Amino acid sequence: MGVIRVPKVPHDAYNPNRPVSALLKIQIEHMHEAEKRLPTRYRSEIYPNAIKTEGEAAEYIRLVTEGIHEAHADAAARRAKPAKKRKGVIEIAAVTDERAERQTGRKARKIKKGGKN
Amino acid sequence: MPPGLDALKHIVVLMMENRSFDHMLGSVPGIGGIDDAEAYSNADTTGALVQPQALAEFQSQLQPDPDHHFPAVDLQIFGGDPNRRANMQGFVKSYYNQQQNVAHSHEILYYFKQSDLPVLTTLATEFAVFNRWFASIPGPTICNRAFAHYGTSFGRVDMNLLYINEPFKSIYDRLVGAPPHTSKLYYYDTASSTMEITNLLQHQPEVFGTFDQFQKDCETGNLPDYSFVEPNYSDHDSDTGEEVANDQHPDHNVQAGEAFIALVYNAIKGNAALWASTALLIVYDEHGGIFDHVIPPLCTPDQFTATANDTGTGQPFAFDRLGVRVPAILVSPWIPKGTIVSRVFDHASIPATVTKFFLGDYSPRSPRETSADVFIEPQGPAVDPARNLLSLDVMRTDCPDFE
Repeated sequence: MGVIRVPKVPHDAYNPNRPVSALLKIQIEHMHEAEKRLPTRYRSEIYPNAIKTEGEAAEYIRLVTEGIHEAHADAAARRAKPAKKRKGVIEIAAVTDERAERQTGRKARKIKKGGKN
Repeated sequence: MPPGLDALKHIVVLMMENRSFDHMLGSVPGIGGIDDAEAYSNADTTGALVQPQALAEFQSQLQPDPDHHFPAVDLQIFGGDPNRRANMQGFVKSYYNQQQNVAHSHEILYYFKQSDLPVLTTLATEFAVFNRWFASIPGPTICNRAFAHYGTSFGRVDMNLLYINEPFKSIYDRLVGAPPHTSKLYYYDTASSTMEITNLLQHQPEVFGTFDQFQKDCETGNLPDYSFVEPNYSDHDSDTGEEVANDQHPDHNVQAGEAFIALVYNAIKGNAALWASTALLIVYDEHGGIFDHVIPPLCTPDQFTATANDTGTGQPFAFDRLGVRVPAILVSPWIPKGTIVSRVFDHASIPATVTKFFLGDYSPRSPRETSADVFIEPQGPAVDPARNLLSLDVMRTDCPDFE
């Protein structure tokens, strides 16, 4: 079998101003449903009901798709971050004792200052 | 096991949009297309009989987009017959309903000449063409694509499928839940994104990749066990320039789709090891309201029923009849040239095949999926040679090249 020539796509096939089809309208609706579940900072700020052309639809779909990916990537990064080292129980008890000593000392100084006995 | 099945490591599905079998492949002789145009005539609204003709154009002909929602497809299949005998006589009537233009309504019967579609028709004649592969539902895109992902549309016959119901998991869930199996759904780019029902995208974005990634994965030999490729659904700008929609959905340019199919084929064939170990299925999600002459067969009902209100026809639907016939071609160097497969398939055959091949027995799966035929025989010693399409003892070296 020889080489088959793939047809060239005519330049005028490209029309981002073509009105959105019923299929793209549905895709926008589905994306909007997904967008509603995203935290605000990942949302697109595009009003989907105002989308009229394929180019506009593509821009909205891109932003929501990327927003979903970013939200998941951020959540994964947070999960992967090492947890802050927790202080051990004995250490905590020691800190509490120090604090109690400091408070006692402060109280004693106040008493001295006020001249009360 | 036959060497072709033994070598098989990857299944790739490319699902295009909204073209019927007769419209795309009807002119190819001897494969079950338009062999007798007169016999497939539809009456127009004046009562005149109109024959299918090889006058389809690449763009600007099917405007408005032919209606392919459930009630319109019902008319296309049953022709308005009060006794509801399927006859494929309602296509012209259905298209007339959109514009009330008799001459324009005839164009719904137009099909492409074989020379118009060198990529698709070459693949159909060089590898295995399925001439009884039907859409899963006589309805629109989303519910049909759901069958390819989940083996069911969860009772929907429309586009409003936002949420899925347990227990039927997507084919991607099944595979990634069974390591070391892998799966990926490649959309064209983020501006085109996915026509999956956004369920997976919201909950498992890690199973998605772009078409650029698909090409890289092919090149580096990192393709997963199962890949589903989505075309570009819109004309839009990108960092690399103008992206022309290549899904072939009317009124998008059909030649752009031809080029995309060739690109997917070349990406796989460009890596010799991958070419030897991959089967590529090219299939269309539904007929898009465009004429086909084969009556869709009855099938095992799904466990769901769409109400008369949901269908819009005044009749409930038990998911017991398939949709209109669509083009479907299986590509592999282990398939004999000129293979014609006349067994019945629908999109539920996709998760059925991938599940059986990679995972074996698996449940739960929908009644439609469990009864769907498989296009690649399951792995195992007892392969039925009559059903195995990857049947050659030696890999072909005469497969076509596209440039």
